[in-house]
Amino acid sequence: MLTSLGVIVAKDLKLLLRDRAALLFLTIAPIVVMSVAGFSLAPLYGADTDERITYDLPIVDEDGGELATQIEDALRGDESLEVRRVASRAEALELVRGKKAGSALVIPAGTRDALAAGRPARLVLYTDPVRFLDRINMTLRVAKARDVLADAERARIVAQLEEQRANVKAQLEELDATVQRVRENLATMRREAGEERERAAGAIDAELNRLQADVSREVDARIKEVVAQVDAAVAARVGALQQPARAYLDELATTRREFEAWFAELQRLAARRADRIPDPPAFPEPPPELERAIEEPPAPIELPVNVELRILPPLRAALDALDALAVGDVDVQVPQLELPQAVIPAASLGVEEISIDGGPTEINPFDQNVPGFSVTFMLLGMLFAVALGLLDERDWGTFDRVRALPVPMLSIVVGKLASRLTVGVLQMTVLFAVGFALFRVSLGPQPWALLLPILGIVFAGTALGLLAAAIAPSRDAVVPVGSIAILTMAAVGGCWWPIDLEPEWMRSIALAFPTTWAMDAFNDLMLRGRRAEAVYESVAMLFAHGAVYLAIGLALFRRRYSRA
Amino acid sequence: MQTCRCLPANIPVAPIFRQSRRCYARGVPAAAAISVDRLVVNRGGRRVLDEITFDVAPGEIVGLIGPNGAGKTTTLAVLSTLLAPDAGEVRIAGHDLRRAPQAVRRSIGRVPQETALYPTLTGRENAAFFARVGGARAADARRAAAAALEQIGLAARADERTAVYSGGMQRRLSLACGLLGAPPVLLLDEPTVGVDPQSYESIVAAIRAHAKGGAGLLYSTHNMEEAEQLCDRVVLIDRGRVVATGAPGHLIRGALPGLLIDVVTDEALPRGWLGDLAGAREIAALAATGRTAPHGIAARAALEDVALAPRVLELAARERTVLDFRVHRPSLHDAFLTLTGRAPRD
Repeated sequence: MLTSLGVIVAKDLKLLLRDRAALLFLTIAPIVVMSVAGFSLAPLYGADTDERITYDLPIVDEDGGELATQIEDALRGDESLEVRRVASRAEALELVRGKKAGSALVIPAGTRDALAAGRPARLVLYTDPVRFLDRINMTLRVAKARDVLADAERARIVAQLEEQRANVKAQLEELDATVQRVRENLATMRREAGEERERAAGAIDAELNRLQADVSREVDARIKEVVAQVDAAVAARVGALQQPARAYLDELATTRREFEAWFAELQRLAARRADRIPDPPAFPEPPPELERAIEEPPAPIELPVNVELRILPPLRAALDALDALAVGDVDVQVPQLELPQAVIPAASLGVEEISIDGGPTEINPFDQNVPGFSVTFMLLGMLFAVALGLLDERDWGTFDRVRALPVPMLSIVVGKLASRLTVGVLQMTVLFAVGFALFRVSLGPQPWALLLPILGIVFAGTALGLLAAAIAPSRDAVVPVGSIAILTMAAVGGCWWPIDLEPEWMRSIALAFPTTWAMDAFNDLMLRGRRAEAVYESVAMLFAHGAVYLAIGLALFRRRYSRA
Repeated sequence: MQTCRCLPANIPVAPIFRQSRRCYARGVPAAAAISVDRLVVNRGGRRVLDEITFDVAPGEIVGLIGPNGAGKTTTLAVLSTLLAPDAGEVRIAGHDLRRAPQAVRRSIGRVPQETALYPTLTGRENAAFFARVGGARAADARRAAAAALEQIGLAARADERTAVYSGGMQRRLSLACGLLGAPPVLLLDEPTVGVDPQSYESIVAAIRAHAKGGAGLLYSTHNMEEAEQLCDRVVLIDRGRVVATGAPGHLIRGALPGLLIDVVTDEALPRGWLGDLAGAREIAALAATGRTAPHGIAARAALEDVALAPRVLELAARERTVLDFRVHRPSLHDAFLTLTGRAPRD
């Protein structure tokens, strides 16, 4: 069993080694595809491709100030940018729409004023969503330039604040010195005022004492005079009251005796019940002072000697108040503080990204993949269908059988191509419909316009299939060589990734491939949302490619299969 | 089905003939269906056909016989208009091949060596397609296809894909496609290779019927017995040249009059083993090929009379041990071998 197994393995290896097509497909095809992919995606991974990618950036200055110059200067520091000033926004947009530039920067009117007033402002960056790498690079570079400007603005504000701080500090120091001087002056004034006050107070005290003595004497004299008058009047009135008061007291003593006699009689009459009679109220005894007042003449009024007049305290309080008023009137020369200018904080300068055609700046990945892989598989299908189909017919003998019939050669070939073209158009249409249904790909403002590049690329692919059939000696040659050619065209032409990921030299090569023009047209219609007229040039290029392939293919085909 | 009163009732007539109001079977009885005059074809710097000349008359089946590389396929390619000749004149059904290739194409039916069918189409679809491309209207094509399929016995399986047909059925269908429109000239390139006896009979019957209808047939084959039985005349071709032309019997008699005796010995007989025997001669060609019989080595001699056979055997027995022998009439194969020195399949 092992022997037979080994023999079979050896046989299959020998078959493989002698199958040039298989070997080509096993080795050359992956090498070509990986080379194309590697070179294409090198810029994406930041590889050194010995080529400096330069991005063209038109700038529109609607602001009219120096901001545009500052931004330009900041951007010109980047060697990968080709900055140029254009006159109007419309001109800049036209450059981007015409794919002569990937992005355009507009500095709207009033930007500088808004920033000066501390209001946020925005730069407008028009980008092409299809040119992914361009868009990312421009966004980053403009943001970087904006940051450079912001740094400069911050530095200016810091310097201004430092200057103002120094001014304020100097003024405060001057103020402090002034206050110190004022304090010293006040102390001197207070001390001098105190001394003056003391002197004044002594003088006032002396004067007051003198006045007080004079007043006291005058008051004593006036009081003695008044007292004498009062004594006389009192003695007169007391003398007038003593007689009636004596008579009353005498009558009161008589009445008391009579009451005591009556009460003793009453008790006697009450006999055994006398103890039940309560004691009668006692008559009050006339006070001795009244007795003496009646008996003796009224005493003269005794006046205090040297009545003291207390008029000093109010005067001292008045003097203290005068002291206080005198100190408050000190004239102080306070330095005029200079208020610093209001520092306006740096306002934010944003970058507003706008898609060149008004659509979203971010794209649906399927908008790239659905047309890209539809084109790839259409071309592969067309290669196999047309080239292998013709070779199959040749091998089957049906081709010669038809050639021997009374039908023009052109009808034979064109008939076959027309059927494949129809199938290709249907295939692409179905794939786009599936892409729309499943992945919501954009079909653009005019979905019917997609038929233009579809027809173009299918025509080119059909003609390419004829060319392959005319060149290839056998189907063994068609499969590997055709597959490599189509995979390369698809990769370089931007079917698998955005073409702007590729280096410039590869994009130049890509112009020779119909896939490039097809993807350009699909991107215009689907991603950029443009109308049919935008893809006329690309579609014309597709038909031109197809016409060239068809002409060469037919010529070679006629040469190979010439009839009588 | 459109028919011509000059043809058998079951043979459909091509629309082109109806349109041209010409009947090839009646209109050109005296002219050759195929006329090849000093035809020259060079390919890759080599002369493939070197001034070959032959004719095929209407109603005649002419065999084109030769070894591989003799120029048979090239000749058929030129007659089919698939290859432009470098010199010479070719007329098909009266049409000059250079000046009126489309008229030539309308006049020929072609049955190539390969089956030349679309494997994913049904038999009916294949036949209808070739009829349509040949110029028939859709309805006429359908009728012609049905008639052709009926003629070669494939009507019952007409709606099956030809990929599932046996080799013999595919050959029959290929012939049916060549017979569409009853062309006045039919070019056949080994149409019976690898077919079963039933299909062979069906194919041969159809070919004979078509020839009987007045068409001229050029039949390329390796099978000498088949050519001898089927062909009215044969054109022997070798290295791009016509070696001989004529009826098989005539050719045989011209190349090998009398009888042949094949003697099988244990070892090869030496040259001159017949000595001076009158009425007998050694066929060098057979000896040169060193052909081996099943039990030994065969030698061949031509005899003017069957009575010489014992003497020949006696001479052979003197040299070697005779294992077997056979006395027979020469065939076309034998004639070809004699004329060219090699077998048709060499």
